[in-house]
Amino acid sequence: MKIGEHELKLVKRVDLPWWNAMIISIISVIVALILFSLVFVHSGVNPLTGFKEIFQFAFLNRNGLPLTINRSIFIFLCTCAFIIPYRAGLWNIGMAGQLYAGALGAFGVMYLFGAKGDPNLYIAPGIGIPLMMIGAMFAGGAIGGIAGFLRGRFNVNEIVTTMMLNSIGFWFISYMVKEGGPFMNPVGRSESFDLPLSVRAPLVFGAPFTMIVALLLAILLYWVFAKTRIGYKIKSYGLNPLAAKYSGINPQVIPVLVFVLGGMIAGLAAYHYFGAMPGVFKIARNYAEFGDLSFYGIICGLIAQGNPLAAIPVSLLFGGLTNGGRFAQGKLQMGFGVDYALLGVMMITMVVLQFFYRYKIVWIKPEKEISDVGIIR
Amino acid sequence: MPTENQTKEKTVLEARGITKRFPGCCANEQINFAIKQGEVHAILGENGAGKTTLMNILFGLYQPDEGELFFNGEKVDFKSPLDAIEKGIGMVHQKRKLVQAHSVIENIMLGHPDSGKILNFKRVKKEVSELCEQYGFKLDLDAKVWQLSEGQKQSVEIIKALYRGAKVLILDEPTSALSPPETRNLLDSIMSMVESGLAVVPFITHKLPIVLEISHHVTVLRNGRVTAKFATAGATEKSLAKSMVGREVIIKLDKVEVERGKPVLEVNNLSAYNEKDHLALSGVSFTIHEGEIFGIAGVSGNGQEELADVLAGLRKAASGTILLDGNDITHDSTLERWRKGVGYVPAERNEVGTICDYSLIENVAMNYYFEEEYVPRGIINYKSLRQLTESLIAEYNVATPGPDVKAKALSGGNLQKLILARVLSKKPRLIIVNLPTQGLDVGAIEFVQNKLLQAKKDKAAILLISGEIEEALSLSDWVAPIYEGKFMDIIPWTDAERDNVGAMMAGMKPKVESL
Repeated sequence: MKIGEHELKLVKRVDLPWWNAMIISIISVIVALILFSLVFVHSGVNPLTGFKEIFQFAFLNRNGLPLTINRSIFIFLCTCAFIIPYRAGLWNIGMAGQLYAGALGAFGVMYLFGAKGDPNLYIAPGIGIPLMMIGAMFAGGAIGGIAGFLRGRFNVNEIVTTMMLNSIGFWFISYMVKEGGPFMNPVGRSESFDLPLSVRAPLVFGAPFTMIVALLLAILLYWVFAKTRIGYKIKSYGLNPLAAKYSGINPQVIPVLVFVLGGMIAGLAAYHYFGAMPGVFKIARNYAEFGDLSFYGIICGLIAQGNPLAAIPVSLLFGGLTNGGRFAQGKLQMGFGVDYALLGVMMITMVVLQFFYRYKIVWIKPEKEISDVGIIR
Repeated sequence: MPTENQTKEKTVLEARGITKRFPGCCANEQINFAIKQGEVHAILGENGAGKTTLMNILFGLYQPDEGELFFNGEKVDFKSPLDAIEKGIGMVHQKRKLVQAHSVIENIMLGHPDSGKILNFKRVKKEVSELCEQYGFKLDLDAKVWQLSEGQKQSVEIIKALYRGAKVLILDEPTSALSPPETRNLLDSIMSMVESGLAVVPFITHKLPIVLEISHHVTVLRNGRVTAKFATAGATEKSLAKSMVGREVIIKLDKVEVERGKPVLEVNNLSAYNEKDHLALSGVSFTIHEGEIFGIAGVSGNGQEELADVLAGLRKAASGTILLDGNDITHDSTLERWRKGVGYVPAERNEVGTICDYSLIENVAMNYYFEEEYVPRGIINYKSLRQLTESLIAEYNVATPGPDVKAKALSGGNLQKLILARVLSKKPRLIIVNLPTQGLDVGAIEFVQNKLLQAKKDKAAILLISGEIEEALSLSDWVAPIYEGKFMDIIPWTDAERDNVGAMMAGMKPKVESL
């Protein structure tokens, strides 16, 4: 494009420094909010009021903030479940199935303790809680491992298998908690039995202790990918499987490893929501809604470019918006689905603006000196 | 030297003052040349001399920052390759751009403006077979492209360009993937094209004898500038190499005599399948001793890639055994072989040998991530890896701003030096090198070959897979021409003759000496 003697040109990027990626992400959020203003205007609401309600409830309100944090931890764990295979160049679309398996694993441990129908059963929390987490991670990892094994051994596309395992997981959990299934609540509701009071997870600063687990996990994963042999092997396989094989990395093992790890973390997300969230402590009736919510792990993982630390703010944003959007929809008496619409618009702008991860705009002056300008610098 | 003919006087393509700058470097600076009808005008230069940039400008992929192009005396401004094709410029890339699953005729028709919406196979076929006949290409027009050899695929691309009415034919490294007889055929075809008035512009990095044989004029590039223009009649291999590299280059290598040591690699009746489940390697046996270079000469696709992969553990052996220093490694994993002292330098530098999005340090780590010394208790010691990388860069003259640069920023020659440095630094017992000098310029070839000879002096056993007879003959102690998965013979270098080896590479039976 020419403006007078100056010229704007698209140039392919050689490198993407992290701060550029951050600026691009922030700009895409702003663009999304501007676009979404149209929805508010259409419903006769002042956009500024609308956004104020959303953000105030999500991040400043005494009732809203804990909900945001809980939801963000859940989304963050699903993001990590996506990121680990993603770094190996593989796509985990199966967080939902791994989540259902994890929920069944955690409650299966309690079932074996005889917790069904006995909310006053005493199990030492120092034993019961870790066992539930292990059960959740084991089951999630096992489901994930199936997809990883099929990919590594027989080169079966992991996207297809993880999707199919989602379906299996969904119907299996339905069978287990509904209509006389083994884990069904004895009172007869279509949800699982309640956790005994003794193993309901403690709160740390008013939030489930899984928040600490999630933060430690972010740091650990970042370190694993930056500094360790196993992280190096996963990254090598992800960037160039042929070169990885040439350098002696076993191409059958890496897919199994990343899918088992990813599935374990998805299982942990299940424990977080069904086993550690205040006011839940059971496989709640709306488990399928959380299965759907787990898919935000994909978009958050992509926006964070596979970086577990960057995934923290992204998960917080998405957790807050789903939460605040739902609240604003009720308070401002808008139509159903405002929260989904907002997320949808945001995903689209983020994906579109990812174009600038690969290209930048340069400003060519008449003296033929090339200098970067504007949003990309 | 071909004789000059009458049609040559008219200039078809002329470049005046072509300059193209990229941030930080100037790829082409004030390039002038004129290509006349009915002549072969070779453009010679090392990697990074600006050949590719110039080629892309001629073909309309880049636009020059300064300077002008003239076609038949008329100023042209190619906005895209389509403009260039319409004017009559044909380009044959080094990387094939054909649809593998389609037939030859379908590939030739693809994109041709006259093929229209309804395909008239009969007419096109007739016209194309006339073209083939005129220029001496032997092609089965109904064969699928994946069935063809590299040389035949190249012929398809040439005919495709001619059928679209090319007046100037640009060839990028035209002989790099061809067997000696195929090269011969191509040169003959080029001669007949020239006689019918076409201009042919081959871009060549190092095959100097071919340049001398077919071209009328040579333009030599170095560092983006034209450093010399020759009428080929007055040039020699030495003078060409000198103006290309900027210094004297030793073209003939001296044999390095090393005392023959213990056997390192013993291969017995080894067979392997390729991806299509065909027996690509069928029952080869050979032994390499310490301080020996065993050269396999062959046109790519005759089983030598599979042999290298099987030895490196990247492919399963269908039958046979591999002994390394007397121990059976036939069923060892790739990693175990690296640990036991097998070093592999693959032909595909970008696809297999390096990870382009990794820094040079991380690329060096590809051979060190399993060493406790550099990765104690599973945690990578990047500090010592950085030191190692820096010392390898210095020792092997890898041209790079530093060790943190990504591998994709390096040119082919420097990438090869890095791979070689990384592999040789492990002091392997057996070194497998597949096409170690393919696509490199004269200076880098000299460097790589000397490093291999140094490794030979250090008592390594070296398996050299080469597509070039000269290289195989001048470096190796033993030469084995390979054809369709079998060694045609194993010859000591003292008995190996160029023509004989070339014939065997093309599948002819070894000459039987009178007994």
